[in-house]
Amino acid sequence: MREKILIVDDIELNREILAVALGDVYPVLEAGDGEQAIELLKEHSDEVAVVLLDLIMPKVDGYEVLKYMKQTEILDRIPVLVISAESRTDAERACLKMGVSDFIRKPFDSVTVRSRVKNVVELFMYKNQLEDKVRIQTENLKRQNKLLEQQAAKIKEGNEKIIDVLGTVVEYRNLESGEHIKRVKGFTRILAERAAKRYPEYNLTPERINIIVAASALHDIGKITIKDSVLLKPGRLDKDEFEYMKSHTVRGCDILEQIDGAWDNEYAKVSCAICRYHHERYDGKGYPDGLVGEEIPIEAQLVSVADVYDALVSERVYKEAIDKDKAYHMILMGECGVFSPKLMECFRESKEDFENLASKYEREHKE
Amino acid sequence: MTVRECYEQMGADFENVLGRLESERMVQRFALKFLDDTSFQALEEALNQKDVEQAFRAAHTLKGVCLNLGFDNLFTVSSDLTEKLRAKELEESEELFRKVKEQYAITIAALRELQASL
Repeated sequence: MREKILIVDDIELNREILAVALGDVYPVLEAGDGEQAIELLKEHSDEVAVVLLDLIMPKVDGYEVLKYMKQTEILDRIPVLVISAESRTDAERACLKMGVSDFIRKPFDSVTVRSRVKNVVELFMYKNQLEDKVRIQTENLKRQNKLLEQQAAKIKEGNEKIIDVLGTVVEYRNLESGEHIKRVKGFTRILAERAAKRYPEYNLTPERINIIVAASALHDIGKITIKDSVLLKPGRLDKDEFEYMKSHTVRGCDILEQIDGAWDNEYAKVSCAICRYHHERYDGKGYPDGLVGEEIPIEAQLVSVADVYDALVSERVYKEAIDKDKAYHMILMGECGVFSPKLMECFRESKEDFENLASKYEREHKE
Repeated sequence: MTVRECYEQMGADFENVLGRLESERMVQRFALKFLDDTSFQALEEALNQKDVEQAFRAAHTLKGVCLNLGFDNLFTVSSDLTEKLRAKELEESEELFRKVKEQYAITIAALRELQASL
């Protein structure tokens, strides 16, 4: 409890006059010089409500006490009233500049001193309470924020885990090799990062690109519901079979909707859009919904270019790998689907990156 | 002798000090304490030793006490002396000190009389 008054004056008589002037409201601590004052402050700084300070004292003077209080930041919590016979204004200015609350000249009027002390004690009590409150609330906020960050990290980890598990499911059924999934992720990232730089209107933040790349692993998840007789059919599919096969887009989306709530909304939304729309075409002739142009979510547009490119340049059971340069031209000429002109611009600019990555995957595959 | 008469004898403004310290009892209590105050002696000794630093501090203390107690005459001369000593003008201080000594004697005499009459 802050309720004590520290009176610092080298003359006992002066200390006594002050103590009497203040009445019996506050318990009094007395110091006969600056050294004693600093000792008392060290010991009782939590109990002192106000310091009444003389300036000119033997050994350690009032200015030194002020300096000490300022350095230790005690001056922020305890108000100082200088009471001095010093008549020069520069002393008063210096003191006020150092942060004293008031400067009272001797001879002082008892009533005035009493009121000023009361005012400044109340003011600081209020100020200290406010500052304590702010400090406590700031600490609470910091704690809560940290907790939120930890939870966010956990959720993110959970999201990535879900995608990983689902991606592994696709792989296990041997629908696509794990390598295809890995490559599609790589190509999607190259294209997305290029598009982010060139076309800010897509709003492809690094955060969003990470989600799109992770979710691209799930583009064909719907194929796990397709019967083996159709999925693994060696020859060409007939019309009905092909229609049935096309349903893997919508089916993938259905599967993902079932885990809704267990993962982050953004991951769910992006994954679902990629599953459903990665076979749409920019000219509206794709499936399943026949979306046109920018109606097709950008995440699906990116993955469909990556998917088509990888299908061309990699070797499959039923086909040889196509030369990278040829694949590049086929895509640009619209021989493998119709894509957004903006993405084609990005693809053109990324030719080298695509080819380097494809070569890197080839080398890894051989090893 | 009352404390008021004591102040009149030393040529000080009693009303003023009464206003600040609120009651005659308080004024008397503190005024009599001046008999035990040693700042004058400290001043005298410091001047004898030509220690201008110590002399300044003692004069400043004396001035402060007089100010609080409303010993106007003694205050005026000790205040002048304080400024001389602050400026380290030791020689000119001697003349002022004589005045301080004179007023100190008058003040002490009045206080002793008051004390004796209680």
